[in-house]
Amino acid sequence: MNTLDTIKELAAKQFGREPHAIDETAPVDTLGIDSLGFLEFLFELEDKFGISIPQESVAGVKTLRELATVIDGLIASKATTPA
Amino acid sequence: MQRVVVTGMGAVAPVGQSVGSVFTQLVNARSGIRPVPEHLYPASASMVAGLVDFDAAAHWPAHLASQFDRSVQFALVAARQALSDASLALNEEESHRAGVYWGTGLGGATAIEESYRMLHKENGRVRPTTVVLGMSNAAAGHVSIQYGLRGPVLNVSTACSSSAAGIGEAYRAIRSGYADVIVAGGSEALVTYGNLRAWDAMRALARPDPADPGRSCKPFSANRTGIVLGEGAAALILESAERAEHRGARILAEVVGYGNAADASHISRPDADGQVRAMRAALADAKLAPSDIGYVNAHGTATLLGDVVETEAIKRVFGDDARRVAVSSTKALHGHLLGATGALEMVAAICALDQGVIPPTAHLDCPDPACDLDYVPNEARRAKLDAVMSNSFGFGGMNAVLVARRYRH
Repeated sequence: MNTLDTIKELAAKQFGREPHAIDETAPVDTLGIDSLGFLEFLFELEDKFGISIPQESVAGVKTLRELATVIDGLIASKATTPA
Repeated sequence: MQRVVVTGMGAVAPVGQSVGSVFTQLVNARSGIRPVPEHLYPASASMVAGLVDFDAAAHWPAHLASQFDRSVQFALVAARQALSDASLALNEEESHRAGVYWGTGLGGATAIEESYRMLHKENGRVRPTTVVLGMSNAAAGHVSIQYGLRGPVLNVSTACSSSAAGIGEAYRAIRSGYADVIVAGGSEALVTYGNLRAWDAMRALARPDPADPGRSCKPFSANRTGIVLGEGAAALILESAERAEHRGARILAEVVGYGNAADASHISRPDADGQVRAMRAALADAKLAPSDIGYVNAHGTATLLGDVVETEAIKRVFGDDARRVAVSSTKALHGHLLGATGALEMVAAICALDQGVIPPTAHLDCPDPACDLDYVPNEARRAKLDAVMSNSFGFGGMNAVLVARRYRH
């Protein structure tokens, strides 16, 4: 499962919707996700992907697709960072 | 000055999850106290509590239930029952005159404890919702949000008198014209490992009854050993009599008196002096004499000292009437709901007034010479009541006493 699909699946669970009802191109606030709910969602994603999502990295994020791009970037930079 | 009446009630308690079932259980002396299960308290053989068998999934889908601490879940259900019982429907304009006055001791105890468990023992992370789940005014906030109550809102935290004080302050607010309707009550859910340990460390908790855990709380009995913690919520719809009459609401009782007085002596040791002043203030506010009170729902926590001090305070206030007035502690059956206990016991007192049945002090098998009032031992009693009193005394020396009477136009 790619990052976007994982995000959509988690979003559906956390916000009580069907996965097919989650539009990854829609602004997240139109999905019934408020600012606090979005923070909880980021918290879950950090757990799921084993990454830390800095606030500045998501400041301009409007959609779940954009969020997936950010997370892919964070995963990639984690993989290339020497331990 | 507006008269203030009760037009609806709701309750979520160890003895039932509706006012009807709670009062039936109390009258029949059926206990809601049981051993604390192992997932809450490892090695639970030595711990009992009044626990609500609560199914959050019956009320909300999982993604919504997780937005509320357990205490807030209780609060929302009790408030919903009370609003429905009162058949209350508010338009936009009326909602600005409708408020929430809510009492709780700790607030989101489960959320906070779970957060600290994760932080210290699991993965060192803290959820972003920890603050809003744990804050003590979350219940008042969610009740106002859920039901669109836009008038005055107040969270009261005076330990074991929190919800009694909240009801009292709500009564004053309506009486003085600051609101027409207030959802008043309280909630508590702090039966967690950390809190049980803390109360146990204080040596305040009852030893479980070896023969029957349900009989572990024995107020006013010579063999009492202390408090049994409980959890739950209760809500009352307080309304100006004028509004209630105008809409043809069923009126359960009139709130006529509220007394609030501090011991100003010790942070945990009860003091008859403060209790006496709170009871006298409530009677004076109600313009009633002790002889008018037919039933006192006692604070009666079943501590060795507390029950004797309250007995002495009742004697000082009631004088010759102390031997006549019926006094009972329903905590024997539901445990001590701390911040929610005043509201639950006010609900019980109003049911007694309304139905003419006094719930007993259960498990009172060994009379204590130092507790020598009529505690309605073990069996409910029919009585024609005109006015009732409910006592709540909190740590910090914070005493709140409420008086209700039968409503007459």
